[in-house]
Amino acid sequence: MGTTSVGSFFGSFLRDTLAIAAKDLRSEFRTKEALNASFAFSVVILVLFSFAFDPSSEQLQTISGGLLWLVFSFAGALILNRSFARELQNDCLDALISSPAPAGALFLGKAVANFVLLMIVELASLGVFGIFYDSRFGAQLGSIALVIALGTWGITVIGTMFSALTVNLRMREMMLPTLVYPLLIPALMAAMTLTTDLMNGTPFGKDNTIWLRVLTGFDFIYSILAVVFIDVVLIG
Amino acid sequence: MIDQRNFMYMFYGFAAAWVIVTVYVGLLALRERRLRDELDRVRRIVEDSGKRS
Amino acid sequence: MRNKLVYVLCLLAAGILCWQLYNILLNLPNEKDQGAIYRIVYFHVPAIFTGFMGFFVALGASGMYLATRNLKYDAFAAAVTEVSLTFATIVLATGMIWGRIIWGIWWTWDARLTTMLVCWLIYAGYLMLRRAIDEPTQRARLSAVVSIFGCTDILIVWKSIEWWRTQHPAPVLSVRDGGGMAPGMESPIYWNWLALMCLAAVLVMIRMRQENMAREIDSLRRMAHSY
Repeated sequence: MGTTSVGSFFGSFLRDTLAIAAKDLRSEFRTKEALNASFAFSVVILVLFSFAFDPSSEQLQTISGGLLWLVFSFAGALILNRSFARELQNDCLDALISSPAPAGALFLGKAVANFVLLMIVELASLGVFGIFYDSRFGAQLGSIALVIALGTWGITVIGTMFSALTVNLRMREMMLPTLVYPLLIPALMAAMTLTTDLMNGTPFGKDNTIWLRVLTGFDFIYSILAVVFIDVVLIG
Repeated sequence: MIDQRNFMYMFYGFAAAWVIVTVYVGLLALRERRLRDELDRVRRIVEDSGKRS
Repeated sequence: MRNKLVYVLCLLAAGILCWQLYNILLNLPNEKDQGAIYRIVYFHVPAIFTGFMGFFVALGASGMYLATRNLKYDAFAAAVTEVSLTFATIVLATGMIWGRIIWGIWWTWDARLTTMLVCWLIYAGYLMLRRAIDEPTQRARLSAVVSIFGCTDILIVWKSIEWWRTQHPAPVLSVRDGGGMAPGMESPIYWNWLALMCLAAVLVMIRMRQENMAREIDSLRRMAHSY
């Protein structure tokens, strides 16, 4: 009796999470507004940076990781801001909160949807980066994909959480970046260092597993904190 | 006797710390006055409405 | 009673600071390389201890608020964060002046300065959030969550830079690594820390009183509108 109810709880939790993720993804893919805006923004940043640095120089190798993650986090802000804000119209947010789905499932569903959208934009930007800056990173592609996935999940968890927190504030667009970017500093530090090393051909080694641990730890800790506190933020 | 090298800079450092504390205390004092005035004003309004009703 | 405590703490802080200032300026031996400016450490380091402690105290207060929903804890958390922001500013300012003279640069991305800067940014964000919310319970609830997330973040930043630092040693301001300072030189740091803690307590108490006044104004306003 006990195990089936725990199992069914997790089953329904997972079902609710996937349902909400699917809803958000479906609605975004219909209009592709945020995707297009985000991708366009990241291309613009990459172009602007090419004026700041000589793309073919040695300098590029040392800043590639930093540049990429700046692009990812700025473009991501566009997607994350909309995450809970799009539910404000027609009281959809109230409807979601009063539905039987637990707040944790609501949060995770939105986080998963944001993660997918952000990954799409990032992988496209990565391609553009490779072309504009003539960067060859095929050798470490798997590791780079892993780092991007971990870093993106970190951005997504914090971003979705604070999107929920700031959804009812009058200065939402300003408060979200102000709160989110300082919190993301450790994750971005780790992701930038790892990406720069991988882009230059250095595989995971003794020097940078520290950062991999930091990134994984960050993701793990904040995923748990977010699921625990989303109730307080959304409901009270 | 105290070392004379970088003596002025030491004072700049001390001064910076104390200026920041003073500025903060000043801001606190301003806020306190503003809050007191507002509190008196609202208390008077409540008393007047109480007398009238 | 509260006012007496404020005065006593003020006098205590002033007394210790004056005594230590005398000690610092006249009694202490001179440092070999830096000249007079190393004495900045006697404000810089105590301010670091006081500023960092604020985070953990605010974390505790935020947790207590979420557990009890008593707005007094929220007022305490806000007061402590604001006062700690002031001390964090002192740390950054004194650190920059010291660094400019000794290292020739206004800033460097070493462990402690970076952590303090992140600390400052998170505190400032917390206070900005509080100003953006008018409703008291919502403000308390949301800032408590931000405080919890912020404190966790500082711990992660601190730990990760420390791990990194053991592989890439960076110029260190530390005086705690044992044998860093001659015997008579270390005690003023702790005395000044005590003085700054007293000062911080005074400022927090004043700030909390202001929070209580603001809450009284809110409830009186509501009463006035209900007539």
